[in-house]
Amino acid sequence: MRSRLRHIIRKELIQVRRDRRIMAMLVVAPLFQLFVFGYAVTLDIKHIPLVVCDRARSSESRKIAASFPRSGHFDLVDETDSPAQLTTNLVSGRALVSLYIPHDFSKRRARGEEAELQILIDGTDMNSAGIASSYISRLIAHHLRTDEVSISPPSMVTHEPRILYNPDLESVNYMVPGVICMILGTVMTAVTALALVREREAGTLEQLIVTPIRPIELMLGKTLPFAAIGLLDVALITLLARYWFKVHVAGSVGLLFIASLFFLLTTLGLGLFISTVSRTQQQAMLTAFFVIMPSVILSGFMFPIENMPASIQWITYVIPLRYFVTIVRGIFLQGSGMEVLWPHLAALIVSGGTIFMLSALRFQKRLD
Amino acid sequence: MTSGTAIDVRGLTKRFGDFIAVDTVSFNIPRGEVFGLLGPNGAGKSTTIRMLCGILLPSAGSGTVAGHDILDEPEAVRSRIGYMSQRFSLYLDLTIGENLEFYGGIYSLNRAQLQERKRWALEMAGLQAREQQLTEDLPAGLRQRLALGCALLHQPEVVFLDEPTAGADPMSRRQFWDVIYRLRAEGATTLVSTHYMDEAERCDRLGFIFAGQLVAIDRPDDLKRAQRAGVIVEVACDRPAAAVETLERTDGIRQARLHGAGIHVSPAVADGAVNAVLAILERHGFSVERAETVEPSLDDIFVSFIQESEERPEAATP
Amino acid sequence: MSLGRVYAISEKEARYILRDPRSLAVTTLLPLVLLVLFGYAINFDVREISLAVFDPDSTPVSRDLVQALTRTEYFRLVRMLPDVNDAEHALASGQAKAVVVIPTGFGADLAAGRTVSVQSLINGSDSLTASIALGYLEGMLQDWSLRYMKTQLPRDSVQIPITPKVRIWFNEDLSSVLFITPGLIVVILIMLAALLTSQTIVRERERGTMEGLIVSPITAREILLGKLLPYVVIALADVVLVAAAGRLLFDVPLRGNPIILLALLLIYLLSALGLGLLISSIARSQQVAYLMALIGTLLPTILLTGFIFPVSSMPDALRAAVQLHPATHFMIIARSMSLKGASFGVVLPRALALLSITIGVIALTVSRFRKTL
Repeated sequence: MRSRLRHIIRKELIQVRRDRRIMAMLVVAPLFQLFVFGYAVTLDIKHIPLVVCDRARSSESRKIAASFPRSGHFDLVDETDSPAQLTTNLVSGRALVSLYIPHDFSKRRARGEEAELQILIDGTDMNSAGIASSYISRLIAHHLRTDEVSISPPSMVTHEPRILYNPDLESVNYMVPGVICMILGTVMTAVTALALVREREAGTLEQLIVTPIRPIELMLGKTLPFAAIGLLDVALITLLARYWFKVHVAGSVGLLFIASLFFLLTTLGLGLFISTVSRTQQQAMLTAFFVIMPSVILSGFMFPIENMPASIQWITYVIPLRYFVTIVRGIFLQGSGMEVLWPHLAALIVSGGTIFMLSALRFQKRLD
Repeated sequence: MTSGTAIDVRGLTKRFGDFIAVDTVSFNIPRGEVFGLLGPNGAGKSTTIRMLCGILLPSAGSGTVAGHDILDEPEAVRSRIGYMSQRFSLYLDLTIGENLEFYGGIYSLNRAQLQERKRWALEMAGLQAREQQLTEDLPAGLRQRLALGCALLHQPEVVFLDEPTAGADPMSRRQFWDVIYRLRAEGATTLVSTHYMDEAERCDRLGFIFAGQLVAIDRPDDLKRAQRAGVIVEVACDRPAAAVETLERTDGIRQARLHGAGIHVSPAVADGAVNAVLAILERHGFSVERAETVEPSLDDIFVSFIQESEERPEAATP
Repeated sequence: MSLGRVYAISEKEARYILRDPRSLAVTTLLPLVLLVLFGYAINFDVREISLAVFDPDSTPVSRDLVQALTRTEYFRLVRMLPDVNDAEHALASGQAKAVVVIPTGFGADLAAGRTVSVQSLINGSDSLTASIALGYLEGMLQDWSLRYMKTQLPRDSVQIPITPKVRIWFNEDLSSVLFITPGLIVVILIMLAALLTSQTIVRERERGTMEGLIVSPITAREILLGKLLPYVVIALADVVLVAAAGRLLFDVPLRGNPIILLALLLIYLLSALGLGLLISSIARSQQVAYLMALIGTLLPTILLTGFIFPVSSMPDALRAAVQLHPATHFMIIARSMSLKGASFGVVLPRALALLSITIGVIALTVSRFRKTL
């Protein structure tokens, strides 16, 4: 048994090493991708383009208008006298937020009446819109608190917030671990999805069937080499995350590798299973895509699972990537250990085992 | 099943939907025999072999190979057989040496055995100098030899060769058969499928398969002696292609076909066959150089078997 | 260019597609299924943030504050903590995303006119939810404070402050669906298109049928065009299905000019299909082509083109680089035209960028694909 397995693994490794392009895609591409994505995946909304129409032209109105770009979140792209221009800027996408200070703003303030600021936010990107909105309310609140002109008594209730685990609210700390999961999850399923089908189309599967090799040996032989490459990826990517993006691993690196191993086996096994149910490479390819896409979207990486309708939340329970994202984030950000993460790890092990079993059952060592 | 039997097949059948590829085939091959499976393309030779190797599941029937049941004990069968398919099934992105080592390893040869058998295979195939070459870069003829080597690394008791010499030059084919004879000398049994008549002559016994059915099984000499083909008249004349057409259209001629530069004719009646054929040809303006009766070759016998099978359903209809 | 030969190739390709019903079904239905799935699943709206509260004071005043915080749809009270030390654990275990700690003597201090300080602990891992939660808490505490002051103190001594009247345009409910759906269409299309055409040429090479094409009089361009056509048809069918679903199921509007949008969509599709063909002519095996197409389109399109993460927030170098990706431009076009009713003039710069990219990709493909093995 062992020798047969060893020889299958050796053959797979020879084939992978010989095809430089595959090696490039399995090792170099993930690193490159992390490098690029690490910069892209920020929800910290910077440079929010702002257009201002200040009809009041008082010192207070100017102060308020200036406080926006000064906060560092907004970029003043245009100042105009015409409210219509505000609209145009929003429609063309040149500005995300428009600030309109009516001409009677200061007069009303002086009279002690309620004074309005009209703010329009382009809600298309509701993410940016929501964040812009919260920035704005914080800005106004801050202005009220610190403004000597206004005679409002200080708030009786002050707020002392403390942010845990990611004090600068750097979304990169939150996103980069997720990106690691994405990169591994997508490539690994794809690489084994074509594995058996290629052998069938080349005629070598027939020859393998005739040999004494057992289905489980063939399954393992085709996944273990890629699991090893995957672990190498994990190491390299973690190093890159740590030293370039300064995303630290708060928890145990050992646990990270163990969890990665189980995840890799599961995701490779999934690809292999797809291989057993596909007749042609094209079929395998499309089926794998059909599986990978929902996994990426429903894994909780970008879109919070708690926000999903219950029925869809149930679906996410069968997506291995979901557990891996939770585990990796927990280890990176919160230093979580086995006590907290064991249910997720168990889920990975169970789903991996099930997939392997199903693949072995399906692969009957017959061609029909 | 006696220990002297290598392959025992009973009523083996394979259906693909409505199409019957193999129709209740039965035969028995004793140990050490070189058995040839002869038939045109699509007759069911490959399908039969693949059922015996466990690649396809029979629709009906049973069989044993090397003493083990093909349905109940497929893995036991697989460890005792060697198989070479028409497509050779080699990994093109592996070198010759790597292919040999892989298959040797799959059959669980230990390091020493593997090295020895690899050396044997390289020598047998004449590929010693090319061990590091990529299989992809080998011409087809050499790939055939490599595939044979891979199939025989573990010295199996029973060897299945599916059209192993297809497209090979006569020299290679001769060498191939040297290997097969050597196998027989070592006690192995070989089932080889072919549609080369000269190869068929070299087998100990032959089975004719046509349209999924085993229409005849016997030693080559016995098949020829059975005289089923009746009389064969060999003719050398001008415009042989046209002559064949003319003869086929004439009553009293069962079959006529090109044979080398001349024609082989199977008349319906044996007596006076030569004169009858001469008369027909001269009537139609052909100048005949030579016309004489000849021993039917396996070729002729085979064709007549096919004809008989084709005629049989007609005989059955009321 | 002989259209007859082009048609022959197209027909053969179409036959190949039709003979594999499973793949055809996946190709046409997949975008639809994905859209429906994600349309219902994806929700950025940060609501019902799980909140735990520690209220040792437990006076009517403090309870009123807790009520004010949890009564809205923004927060969902999951637990009243018995002990302040439970706060961190509640966050670590994921039970709550935020914890509010009300100081003892809250009610007494307020009644006496003293300022009190309410603490909050927020799980910063999910920085999006965290910063929104932070914003909510700040706003709600301030509101409550003002209301309290109004009830306690005489009217005139309270300065009525500035009220920002914030209005959201184009997507008034800040519904994620309207934002996501056009983006999803853009993302799915490029992936599917690239995947499909990535196989088409390399498959012939692998199967050995490329030789037959090479020795025939057909030109490289005719092969490319012939192979492109059936996939254009499929992609258009997909677009129609998905757009219809978006409209019917999710009320995604189409406020701009549909004809122009369709024309631009076609250009976008061509860039995607062309990209796949380019990969197909470079790759030596179907597996390599597949991995290239997948790795090259899946994550980059989702992460880099402004689908979720704004391009404006990226570092300058990266922002410049992603302008080369057709989806970056079409994302903006699709969103502007469907949600904002932008006219062609407004999206013209983007349209031109898209057109140049498409031409570039196709030119590159044509130059790289030679009739050789």
